[in-house]
Amino acid sequence: MDILFLDAPYSGKVELCQETLDYITKFKKVALYASVQFVGKLERVEEQLNEIGVEFVISKADRASVKSQLLGCDNYHESLNLKEEFEAYLYIGDGKFHPLALVYGQKDDKGMKEIIRNDPLQEKMFLMGVDEIKTILKKYKGSLVKFLSSNTIGVIVTIKPGQEQFKPALALENKFPGKKFHYFIDNNVSFGQLENFNFIETWINTTCPRVGFDDQEKFRKGVINLNDAFLAAEILANDSLLNKS
Amino acid sequence: MTEKLYQIETEKAIAKIREVNAETVCIQLPDGMKPYAQEIEADLVRETGVRVLIWLGSNFGACDIPLGLDRMKVDLLISWGHNKFVKKMEGW
Repeated sequence: MDILFLDAPYSGKVELCQETLDYITKFKKVALYASVQFVGKLERVEEQLNEIGVEFVISKADRASVKSQLLGCDNYHESLNLKEEFEAYLYIGDGKFHPLALVYGQKDDKGMKEIIRNDPLQEKMFLMGVDEIKTILKKYKGSLVKFLSSNTIGVIVTIKPGQEQFKPALALENKFPGKKFHYFIDNNVSFGQLENFNFIETWINTTCPRVGFDDQEKFRKGVINLNDAFLAAEILANDSLLNKS
Repeated sequence: MTEKLYQIETEKAIAKIREVNAETVCIQLPDGMKPYAQEIEADLVRETGVRVLIWLGSNFGACDIPLGLDRMKVDLLISWGHNKFVKKMEGW
């Protein structure tokens, strides 16, 4: 079977609104990202930043096809592959789903770099920070603590080829020899089925990493993402936003 | 409205259908474009005579490709709203 991806690019003009232009001058250097619908039309934004003397850095994230593209699953800072220092993120696009990845990506940092969201549809600026995810971080921290003291763990693996992470998940057995891991496979995560497996004490998510955050409340027993499971004790010992939540 | 805000690029879809001589096509749309499935289907059928199956479920990204399409003899999946996804085999 052949597959054709169509970006559905934004038809309108992509530029920074006056509100963003006024605000962003407080920063010397920003990291510039956009969702796929806008990433091909950033020339004017780059020009505007040059005109007002704000430097910008870009990168190609691990799973993205092009530079400056932000995916919703880029919610771990290292996946952005940003080498240079910068003071804030500038995100171009509509909606909060993609830029929320930049907020989650800073959960293990001491402080949060601001995320300036410039919405070309509304021609407005929105600011995003840790307040967006405070409730989720509290629950996530609780799930990390619970995971460390749990003996029976449910590992959720999707069978979708793009998201399936069964092999990396098997490494949990070596890292935590005292725990029993049960592997659950599904297409989409069937949240309504979780309670039927009442012997599970804590869940580990290996599907889309956003499930571990955005859907935290759907897991009564708690859920953590696979990569955080490997480093649970270290994460809980950090001087970080997560531990201040 | 969506058609004006975001380009559907039907001509690319039609070109691909002709290139691979597809007889059955599955179209997968992000939620904001799902109301336009009817007109996308009509355009594709009118131009190519293809059988269109509309994916009812999610379209979270290029990582979220429907399974089992081969069983439905789908020759081509056209997925809107995303570009190619680079999977990290070693985990996230």
